[in-house]
Amino acid sequence: MKKWMAVMLAGMMTAASLGGCGSTGSTAETEAPAEETGTAETDASDAASEDAAAEDSAAGESDMAYVQEKGTLVVGITDFAPMDYKDENGEWIGFDADMAKAFAESLGVEAEFVEIDWDNKILELDGKTIDCVWNGMTLTEDVLSAMECSNAYCNNAQVVIVPADVADQYQDEESLADLTFAVEAGSAGEEQVQALGLNYTPVTAQSDALMEVAAGTSDAAVIDSLMAAAMVGEGTGYEELTYTIGLNSEEYGVGFRKGSDLAAALNDFFASSYADGTMESVAETYGVQAALIEQ
Amino acid sequence: MELIMEQMPIVIRSLNIGFIQTLKLFFVTLAGALPLGLVIAFGSMSRFRPLKCLAQLGLPGWLTEFRPISCVTRIVVWIVRGTPLMIQLLIIYYFPGLVLNNPIWGGGESGRFLAASVAFIFNYACYFSEIYRGGIQSVPAGQEEAGLVLGMTRSQIFFKVTLLQMIKRIVPPMSNEIITLVKDTSLARIIALQEIIWAGQAFLKGSQGISGQIWPLFFTALYYLVFSGILTILLGRLEEKLNFFR
Repeated sequence: MKKWMAVMLAGMMTAASLGGCGSTGSTAETEAPAEETGTAETDASDAASEDAAAEDSAAGESDMAYVQEKGTLVVGITDFAPMDYKDENGEWIGFDADMAKAFAESLGVEAEFVEIDWDNKILELDGKTIDCVWNGMTLTEDVLSAMECSNAYCNNAQVVIVPADVADQYQDEESLADLTFAVEAGSAGEEQVQALGLNYTPVTAQSDALMEVAAGTSDAAVIDSLMAAAMVGEGTGYEELTYTIGLNSEEYGVGFRKGSDLAAALNDFFASSYADGTMESVAETYGVQAALIEQ
Repeated sequence: MELIMEQMPIVIRSLNIGFIQTLKLFFVTLAGALPLGLVIAFGSMSRFRPLKCLAQLGLPGWLTEFRPISCVTRIVVWIVRGTPLMIQLLIIYYFPGLVLNNPIWGGGESGRFLAASVAFIFNYACYFSEIYRGGIQSVPAGQEEAGLVLGMTRSQIFFKVTLLQMIKRIVPPMSNEIITLVKDTSLARIIALQEIIWAGQAFLKGSQGISGQIWPLFFTALYYLVFSGILTILLGRLEEKLNFFR
C-alpha cells in the first residue's frame, strides 16, 4: 500500500512539473497572434520583403514572420534616459522607445517593452524572450559578432569621469596612466581602457562605476557621454564629479537575433523616416538631434 | 537631506511596487514548496523494492534491495541543493528558448514571474523535504508499531499519529528556511524580475528623474527587516501553540 502511494506521488511530481511547463507554453503561443497578423502582412510587405526573402534561407525561418505571427515586437531595454525611460504615467518614452513604437507599427505589430538585465542581453535575444535590444547600445566588436545589428543611428563617445576638484590634471590621455579605473564589464569603456593599457576594475554597471569614483574606491571611470551628460555635474546626483576627455567616438545601433531579417527591415525604416524628417523631429523631442546619424 | 526628503515619495512608491513582487514570489513559493516538499520527502523515504521478488534466484543483496524511487529523488535533491539557485533561475528561464527553441515563458513580466516561481518552488521544496524527512523519522518507531498492532493502516498512522508531532518538531528549522526565503527572492533579479532590490538599484542608474542615488538600495533592507520581524513573531506564536505535547 505504502509503496504504491510513493510511486503515485513521485509520478504526480514529475507530471506536475512537466505538465506545468507544457501548458504555459501553449497558452503563451496561442494568445499572441489573433487580429494583428492580417494587417501585418499588407503593411510591411512593401520595402522590406525583398531583403527579407534574401536572408530567409540563411536564417532558416524568417524572424519577421515570427514576430508578426505573435503580434508583438518585444523590445529589451533598461531604464536609460533620454533613450528609454518612463513618463509620469509609467509609459515608456524616449528617443529609442518612440522609434521602436513607430517601427513596430510599420510591421503591423505592437511594441512591448521589457526591462532586462543588461548583462544577459544576448541570452535574452537567443532565448527569444526579447526580439531586439534597442537601448542606446554601442556597436562594439562583441555586439556585432553576437547580434544582427542595424545601421548606426546615433553618435556617442566614451568619456573619463573624475572628481571635479582634480579634473584639470587629467585633460589628456598621458595623464591617465597612474589612475585606477572602474568600467562596466563588457562595455565600450572597458575596450577603451584595455586598449590604452590602464589599470581597471570591471563592475556590473556604468552607474556602479560612477559610484566607485564618488566613494573614492576608484580614481576614475569611463562611461557613455550621453549618460555622463545626464548623470554628473551640476544638478545631478553626482555634483562633485565631472567628465574630461573623450577616448573615442562610437555609434549606437539596434541589435536583433543573429541572422534576423528584421535588421534589414529596420534599416529601410530608418532610411524612410530620416528622409521624411520624422526621425529628426523625434530626436529633437529628446534633445539628441546633434548626435543623429544621416541614414 | 533636503534632496532625500524630496525624492522620498517617488522612491517609496517604486520600492512598494517592487516589494509587492517580492511578497508575491514569497507566498507563491511557500504555497507550492510546502506540499511539494512533503511529496519529495515521501519519495526519498520510499522503500519500494521492485526487484525483491528476485531474491529467491539468489541475486546479490544490493540488487534486490535497490530502491529506485528513493534513489532518483535523492539524486534530484542532491542536484537542486548542490547548485546555486541563481544558476537554476538562469537555466529554467533561458534554457527552453535557447536550446529547445521554444520560449515557453515569453518575455513579459508574468513569464519571468512564472519561471522564477517554478525555480523557487522546486529549490525550496527540496530543502523542505529534508526537514520533513528529519521530522518524520524523529517520531519513535514504537509508535508506528503500536499503531500496526492496533490494526491501523499506515496512512491512518501517518495522519493521526505522526503528522502533528512532525509539524511541531519542524517549526524551528522551517522558520529558518522561511526567513532565508524572504531574502533569497532577491536572486530573481538575475532574470530581470523587478523585485525590490531591482527597484532600489534603478535609482543608482537613473529612473524617474532620480539618478546616482545609493540610499534607496540601502533603504530596501528596512523592508526585509520589518517583514522578517513580522514572520519571526508569527512563527514564534505557532511554535508556542504547538507546545502542548510536553
